[in-house]
Amino acid sequence: METLFIDFFQNTGIFLCDYRNIIMIIVGSIFIYLGIAKHYEPLLLVPIGFGMLVGNIPVFEGLGLGIYENNSVLHYLYYGVTQGIYPPLIFLGIGAMTDFSTLLARPVLMLLGAAAQAGIFITFLGALALGFAPNEAASIGIIGGADGPTAIFLTAKLAPTLIGPIAVAAYSYMALVPVIQPPIMRLLTTRKERLIRMEEPREVSKREKMLFPIIAFLLCCFLAPAALPLLGFLCFGNLLKEAVVTERLAVAARNAIIDTVTILLGLTVGASTQGNVFLTSSSVGIFFLGAISFCIATAAGLIFAKIMNLFLKTKINPLLGAAGVSAVPDSARVVQMVGQREDPTNFLLMHAMAPNISGVIGSALGAGVLWSFIR
Amino acid sequence: MYGLQAISAHNGWAISVVGITIVFTGLVLLSLSIAQLHKILDLWENRHNLGSLKERLLKKNQPEKILSFTEQQKESAKQFKLLARTMDDSFALPKLLRLAEVSGLNAPHSSLALLLESGIIKSEESGFFTWDREMFMKIVQ
Repeated sequence: METLFIDFFQNTGIFLCDYRNIIMIIVGSIFIYLGIAKHYEPLLLVPIGFGMLVGNIPVFEGLGLGIYENNSVLHYLYYGVTQGIYPPLIFLGIGAMTDFSTLLARPVLMLLGAAAQAGIFITFLGALALGFAPNEAASIGIIGGADGPTAIFLTAKLAPTLIGPIAVAAYSYMALVPVIQPPIMRLLTTRKERLIRMEEPREVSKREKMLFPIIAFLLCCFLAPAALPLLGFLCFGNLLKEAVVTERLAVAARNAIIDTVTILLGLTVGASTQGNVFLTSSSVGIFFLGAISFCIATAAGLIFAKIMNLFLKTKINPLLGAAGVSAVPDSARVVQMVGQREDPTNFLLMHAMAPNISGVIGSALGAGVLWSFIR
Repeated sequence: MYGLQAISAHNGWAISVVGITIVFTGLVLLSLSIAQLHKILDLWENRHNLGSLKERLLKKNQPEKILSFTEQQKESAKQFKLLARTMDDSFALPKLLRLAEVSGLNAPHSSLALLLESGIIKSEESGFFTWDREMFMKIVQ
C-alpha cells in the first residue's frame, strides 16, 4: 500500500514539476489576466493562456497525455497547427466577416499595407545575421506581418519546431498593438499631420464588392501561387459574404467555423509551450526579433504614408500607415484612438480599415513568397 | 555564421529585395485594377448607351476650330479687349457694344459677332459674358 502511494506520488505533477513549468504557468496566467481584465485580444489570449496551463502540467511520458506524444488527444488537435490546416480556416472566417468597401473606395491606401510588409523582410535579414537558419529566419520575419494565422502557417511549413514560440510571439504582439504602436506613431508624425482629416470615401456598389475577391485571388495567386491556401480561403470567405445567396455559408464561416478553429488553435498553441521545449535561448531571440519586426512594420507604414503625401494632392493622415500591419481590426482601432486624442471629431477608423485589410493580403503574399524561396 | 556574412551566404539580400518587390507589385497591380473596376462596371451597366457615349467622346476629342482673323479684324479685337478691360470680369454685352459705338470702333456689331463666334467672348449661365484671354492670345497674337 505504501509502494502504491509512493508510485502515485511520483506520477503527480507536484513531483514531476520543473521550474520551467512554473514560469510558463505564470505566463499563461498573465495571458488569461490580460485577456479577461484588460480586454487585450481576449478571444486569443484566453485560449492560449489556458493552453499554457494545460501544456505545463507535468505528465510522465508514455501515458499519451502530452501534446508531443503521438497518441494523445492534444497531439491530434495540434495536427491542425503543424499541418497548416487551421490558418486557412481562420482566413475563411476573416474573409466572411470583412467588408472591403473602404479598400475599394480608395485603392491607393493599399500601398500602405504593402509598405508595412518591409518589416517582414528586414527582420528576416536580422534573423539571418543573428545566426538563424533561412527557414527559421523567414518564420521569425513573418511575425512583423502581425498576423497570427499567417505566422503559424509559414512556420508549420518551414520550421515546425518553432511553432510554439513564434505563435505565442505573434499573438502576444497582436494583443499588445495598443501598447506598442502609439509611441512609434507619435514619434514619427507631427501634430499637424495627425490632425489631417480624410476625404469621405465614395459609395461602393455591391457588384464591385462581389468581383473584388475573385480579382484579388486571381491576381495575387497568379503572381505568388504559394499564397494560395491563405488568400484562397480569405477571398472565398469574402465571396460567400458578398454573394448574398450564400449567406448561410458565410454565417457558418464567420461564426461557427472561425470560433471552433480559434479555440482549437489557441488551446493547442498554448499547450505546445511546454517549459522544457519553449524556454530556450532561441525563443528569447524570437521574441526580441518579433518585437523589432513589429516596430519596423509600423514605422515603415508611417514613413511610406508621409512619402505618399509628398505626391498626393489630397493629403492622407499618415497615422493610417500604422494600420498597414495586418492585426485586424486592432491596429485600425489604434489609429482611430491616436487620431482622436488630437481631435476627438476626427474619425479615422473606417479609413484605417483599408490599409489594415491590404496588410492581411500583403502578409499572406509575403508568406507565400518566402515559402516559395525557402522550401 | 553571423552578421553580414550569414546574410550573404544565405542569399538574404536577394530574397528580401525580390520578396518586397513581389509583395509591392502584387498590391500595386491589385490597387490599379480595383481603381478601374467601378469605371468598367459603369461602362458595362451603360452598355446600351455606348453609341451616344462614343459620339460624345468623338466630339470631345475633335480639335477646336480656331477662326483665322484678318489684320483688320485682329486690330478690332485688340480694341475690344481694351474696352473689356475697363469693365468687370463678367459684363453685359449691350454695354460693351455701346462702349464700342461711343469709342467710334469700325463695324462694332459684326466685330462683336465675330468675337462671339470665335469664342473670345463667352457667355455665362447668368446672362453675362466673359473675355477668354487664352482664346484671344491663340487667335490674335
